[in-house]
Amino acid sequence: MKQELSARERMAGKIGILQRIVTLLSLFFVFFPSVNPARVSALVGRTLSLFTSGISYARLTSEMGRAFSKGWISPVSIRILFAGSAVILVGIVLSCAASCMSLGNLKLKSYGKWFALSGSVLMAVGLLLIRASYLQLLGSSNPAKVEAAIPTAFYLYAVFTAILVLTSASFALLLPKPPADSRCEMEAGYKLFLMFLPFAMLCFVFSYLPLYGWRYAFFEYTAGSDLSMDKFVGFHWFTTLLSNEATRADILRVLRNTLAMSGLGILTGWLPIAFAIFLNEIKNSRFRRIIQTVTTIPNFISWVLVYAIALAIFSTDGFINTMTGGDVNYLMNSSHMWLKMLLWGTWKGIGWSAIIYIAGISGIDQQLYEAATVDGAGRFQRMWHITVPGLLPTYFVMLLMSIAGILSNGMDQYLVFSNARNKETIEVLDLYVYNLGIQNGIIPLSTVVGMVKSIVSVILLFGANRFSKAVRGESIV
Amino acid sequence: MEALSKKPKSGPGKKAVAGTGVVGRKTPGDVIFDLINHCFFGIFSLLCAFPFYFLFINTISDNDLVQKGQIKLLPRGINLSNYLAMLNVSDLGQAFLVTIARTVLGTGLMVAASGLVGYLVTKKEMWHRKFWYRFLVITMYFNAGTIPWYLNMSMLGLTNHFAAYIIPAVVAPYNIILVKTYIESIPSELEESALIDGAGFFTVFTRIIWPLCKPILATIAIFGAVGHWNSYTDSLILMQSAPELKTVQHRLFEYLNQTTNLASVMSSGGGMLASAVARQAMNAKVLKYTISMVTVIPILVVYPFMNRYFEKGIMLGAVKG
Repeated sequence: MKQELSARERMAGKIGILQRIVTLLSLFFVFFPSVNPARVSALVGRTLSLFTSGISYARLTSEMGRAFSKGWISPVSIRILFAGSAVILVGIVLSCAASCMSLGNLKLKSYGKWFALSGSVLMAVGLLLIRASYLQLLGSSNPAKVEAAIPTAFYLYAVFTAILVLTSASFALLLPKPPADSRCEMEAGYKLFLMFLPFAMLCFVFSYLPLYGWRYAFFEYTAGSDLSMDKFVGFHWFTTLLSNEATRADILRVLRNTLAMSGLGILTGWLPIAFAIFLNEIKNSRFRRIIQTVTTIPNFISWVLVYAIALAIFSTDGFINTMTGGDVNYLMNSSHMWLKMLLWGTWKGIGWSAIIYIAGISGIDQQLYEAATVDGAGRFQRMWHITVPGLLPTYFVMLLMSIAGILSNGMDQYLVFSNARNKETIEVLDLYVYNLGIQNGIIPLSTVVGMVKSIVSVILLFGANRFSKAVRGESIV
Repeated sequence: MEALSKKPKSGPGKKAVAGTGVVGRKTPGDVIFDLINHCFFGIFSLLCAFPFYFLFINTISDNDLVQKGQIKLLPRGINLSNYLAMLNVSDLGQAFLVTIARTVLGTGLMVAASGLVGYLVTKKEMWHRKFWYRFLVITMYFNAGTIPWYLNMSMLGLTNHFAAYIIPAVVAPYNIILVKTYIESIPSELEESALIDGAGFFTVFTRIIWPLCKPILATIAIFGAVGHWNSYTDSLILMQSAPELKTVQHRLFEYLNQTTNLASVMSSGGGMLASAVARQAMNAKVLKYTISMVTVIPILVVYPFMNRYFEKGIMLGAVKG
């Protein structure tokens, strides 16, 4: 008897896995506009996902104003559509709850099966409502504009729903009755995982899912249109990047700026060490603290504010001109842009970057200094032979990190300082991608540039890590 | 070189500033060095502090003098009417509301999530803990790029939506690493004894782990808050057709770039300038300075108190997860 029960339980366990996978998939696709089962008419926006169509009636009807006023469609059929989407969403939520509960003990599972059953039934009801709405839309007075059709995603969800109905029904049949006195329990490992799951999903949606956007690099795409296989262009954009005279010149210019400014940053990477060492030579601790506080403040203001300060000091009616009586707008001067950007970066960052070295200095064994002094080493000799070697490991890590990030100098700083005159020398890769993609709406090409940049950056990072492991026996990531 | 190769002599631990060594009499060279060193750091500190001071004296001085460029080192004709006039700058109040809301909400949720997730990933029983931890951490090292990120946000319906400021920032892998490392440094006996006493997961988390983690949580909270307060690229990219959701920094950027006709942003909401303000005509320059000052004041006010947390933050950052 007992043997048979556990076999049935095993069976139920396997079905449970199927149910969880299908639930996860149906939850996942809820956020994709391209698989929206509620898109039964061309009037439903292409950018609407099932999630949006199910929670926001306003968004669902945002493109239907004309259709309503001309009487092509009745608001009733759209309300039905909205209700259907919402009901599906509720069903999916219930199924998710059921999936979670199916990880628990028998008692919890037996509660879960009701969730699973009601969830899948609700999904079926929702799909039927959407179909009802579709049938109403078929009878529209302007079929050409309404274009009522059952989307492929509808069938996908129909399959999901069918599977869920079947699994939850068999689940209900297979599960033995829990002992009457048992309580709802779940293994700690699963419990912890379920608590972790929402965060894993957020992380997936905002960090992994954008990778799916790389597909735009292989399509002919303008904002607002949708992707279909007939627009697939393969590596067309990649070759355009290199073969088109204008873009190639742009890329070369932007790369030169990026490498030059990152390179200058790397070359001056030792400045914070010098800052830390010389600051440490100030013996008055009160004065030292004040300096440290004041010099780290610029790190915590935004680049917009740095720009505001630049305006206040260097513009035509800024501080310098009021002192000298001139009227030179230093910010419109585009010479030595790389150097100026380096100086601003140093002004903003040096105090902050020095903190890690200051802490490093206080970690150096005092006896080393004492011994060196006894041996007659002067101040500079102590700095050079004790402090500097003591800080080198940290510097090495920082150096490798900045080499790995050589292509990513961010766009904040360069965006605020850029103007029509200095664009040639200030535009870095990140800013170029922004200008190209967001400002000019050239999505595929800018995706290609960003994609290549990301891949090169990851390779550089792992290269740097390899190098660090080989040389220091320690990894940096 | 010799100093290094020799074994350091063991002596009584001297209470000295790091790196001082044994200091004898000051030679003339030392005096000159100290003088130059002090001067250098004094000047550099001035360079860091003066711009803020300059902005400030210009905002509290008489606007006519400011316009003529006569406010150089000291304020003249001190008054606060420019700050009162800020109330009439259309959209600025809204931008402040949005920014404060995102700073408070975004930081709060991020800290709570980092605390909980940081604790979860220390629990060895968690189903496939190692895998999920790596799943989080690895996202620090790659980036799909601005455009795919933007398209993803618009696909999720987060463009022109306030939630776009909050939700993506909830899971912050770096902060999770910091919290995890910190929790691992707490003696596990504390947790175990509570578990033996019958405390559940959440009781242990809220009663023991959370209070013990306060220093690190405060640190990440401050970094998170500063990040939210200072961010403007997300506003720039995502809120293109929702001007009411622009952040303060974004607004400031716009004002800074408006060379002419800045007065048009004043009181276009229909309100007249307050009479005290009306006497002084606001000009573009003063307006820019004042808005800058208003955006930077929260940071300047909070900064000295939070300094130690900032420093703790960067030191913790040096510890790998």
